[in-house]
Amino acid sequence: MLLFIFTEIMLFAGFISAHTIARAGAQAWPPPGQPRLPFRETLFNTAALLASGAILAVAQISHRKRPADSKGPFAVALVLGLLFVAAQGREWVALIGEGLTLTSSNYGGFFYLIVGAHALHALGALIALAWALGRLRRHNLGRNQFAAVATFWYFVVLVWPVIYWRVYL
Amino acid sequence: MTLRTRVTLLVAAALLLGPRALFACPMCFDPRAENRVAFATTAAVMTLLPLGMVGALALWLRRRARTLKEQGEDPNPDPPPTT
Repeated sequence: MLLFIFTEIMLFAGFISAHTIARAGAQAWPPPGQPRLPFRETLFNTAALLASGAILAVAQISHRKRPADSKGPFAVALVLGLLFVAAQGREWVALIGEGLTLTSSNYGGFFYLIVGAHALHALGALIALAWALGRLRRHNLGRNQFAAVATFWYFVVLVWPVIYWRVYL
Repeated sequence: MTLRTRVTLLVAAALLLGPRALFACPMCFDPRAENRVAFATTAAVMTLLPLGMVGALALWLRRRARTLKEQGEDPNPDPPPTT
């Protein structure tokens, strides 16, 4: 899992590097005629995602002592993660309506590429979390399984503030 | 000076002076400071990030092996016999 996360870190580092260079070379950013990204509204989504990561960490610590006690926080972390993805999806629909699309400009292309890649990772991690929660409810989730799924979620959570800082601000 | 030495010096001079004269790198000789800074920063990040991650992994593996050794466990256990 760690080796996979290392490769994904490099993937996002490459995306963000390309975005940084394109942005530095542009005459205006965002380009004229393109909407400004909703950085204030996305701050709430970011808070939900970070809370999800923190609560999952609490669930993981709890799982080591009494696995049955970790079900509640685990479910809350999963719900917060789903809320984040749903809110981002709603944001995308609004931005497409305002004229920001994958092909409208470099600005749009990079936004959907980077945030879209993150969304795909988030969806994959949420599927893994849902699977783990199912096993936890059947009292059949080992520590290593929990750790693997949680590590992937922590990666999704921790890479988001970097994306928010570089892409939204 | 032999012909070989002259050719070597000529090639070395061309390699050193040619790119500068031709402005071969559009980022290094970009008139805008923002572009040069962006290029240098991203190049540094893309170089140091994998080195940092691999280094951290190596350090963790070393500490893990040391911990296992202190606990009396063999960090490199032999595989079970096949027969």
